[in-house]
Amino acid sequence: MAFDIDRFSHIESSVQRWDPRIKILSLVFFIFVVALLKTIPVAVASLFIALIIIKITNIPFHFVANSIKVIVVFLAPFFLMLPFSYPGEPAFRIIGLPFAWEGFRLSVLIFTKAVAIVLTTNAIFGSARFDISMIALQNLRCPKVLVQMILFTYRYIFVFIDEIKRMEKAMRSKGFVMKANMNTLRTMGNFVGALLIRSFERTSRVYSAMLSKGYEGELHSMVSFKARGKDYVKAGLVVVVTVAVLAVDLLSVFTPAIKGWY
Amino acid sequence: MHIADGILSAPVIAAGFGGTVVIAAVTMRKMDLEEIPKISVMSAVFFVANLIHIPVGPTSIHFILNGLVGVILGPRAFAAIMLGVILQAFLFGFGGVTVIGVNCVMLGGGALIAYFIWQLRHRFPVSDKLEVFFGAVAGAVGVAFSGVILALALFTSGDEFWATAGYALAAHVPALIIEAIVVGACVTFLKKARPDMLAGHVQKIYKTGG
Repeated sequence: MAFDIDRFSHIESSVQRWDPRIKILSLVFFIFVVALLKTIPVAVASLFIALIIIKITNIPFHFVANSIKVIVVFLAPFFLMLPFSYPGEPAFRIIGLPFAWEGFRLSVLIFTKAVAIVLTTNAIFGSARFDISMIALQNLRCPKVLVQMILFTYRYIFVFIDEIKRMEKAMRSKGFVMKANMNTLRTMGNFVGALLIRSFERTSRVYSAMLSKGYEGELHSMVSFKARGKDYVKAGLVVVVTVAVLAVDLLSVFTPAIKGWY
Repeated sequence: MHIADGILSAPVIAAGFGGTVVIAAVTMRKMDLEEIPKISVMSAVFFVANLIHIPVGPTSIHFILNGLVGVILGPRAFAAIMLGVILQAFLFGFGGVTVIGVNCVMLGGGALIAYFIWQLRHRFPVSDKLEVFFGAVAGAVGVAFSGVILALALFTSGDEFWATAGYALAAHVPALIIEAIVVGACVTFLKKARPDMLAGHVQKIYKTGG
């Protein structure tokens, strides 16, 4: 799995050129509105909007598809449970299980919204270098400590994944096979412990090096943001579309997913 | 386990963010600059542990390890879990941006409870077996608490989710057993190798002659 979400941030597009601060604010507003939608047609429309945004960023779709896979695995229980456990009169029975359309509709709604949100998140953090996104967050009055720690953690994740691969190779070469038994679990416990000790020692070395170079708990950056008219126009566009989506959803042009198709 | 976007109702989402801000403000008070790297390491471990899957029958279960984070960081565990959850939402839609609050309370709360359990060991006479036992129980309780909060969040979002809430709670039982064994083993290992890394570690003072 790839965690370098900013792999395609170098591609030129109007999303990549957008001031990260304004981009984060306006698209996060969109995300929250999508999360609260209640009707399927509007949710599908928001999915299309998210697809358009991704299309504009020029991020290859196979890269984004990774996160959609995660969502499918995540929501599988809902698809399996909701249609068969919806309270009320079932439409028909499948092998004795009561199947309710309302539950099925609800799971379709949930899935559509989740995919739309994940696509938008990809557009936000995939269209700028991760450190620049974080500096933008700091400029948006996110607590400095938090931003610092996010950057540290982000760095360590890659270090750890490499470390785990090395340690796994060492374990395999000594004949370790992962099984569902006590021995595997105990070995995994020791594995995590060893990983912890190695990481702590590495980190304290890195930290001493940083201190000796004058680190004082703050991120000094050469990056400065300057919002132009164009940035506000893009933000305005997103806000207008978002408010329109919300209005159509609330005005009950369509009936909520728990009542009927339309 | 995490919850995904687009399921919970607005009040539950708002309550999640509110709870996270309050708990974070309380547990992150007077934080020292030196603690930052240690917390970041633990949140990276939490992040990566969520990706390690263990085969169980036809499916697999991934580690959560929020109990272990609590056992090592103590009250600061909440900050570590919060960072992990934020990054998971940012980087690959594990959970989701709108449910960061709920996931933080769910998993970070479990870590704090695990720390509380871990500290109870001081009330009993010192023995190695006892510490392993408390480590295992802390690991299990961390997961169990998360399961209960997950079920509660679904439960309060509408009666159509009641059956799913029950299923979610049941799915935590195998995870809980696995976590207990792994955290117990990890505590045993750390106890031998680097006991100072565990939260609430009291250094033994040996008197030298002279």
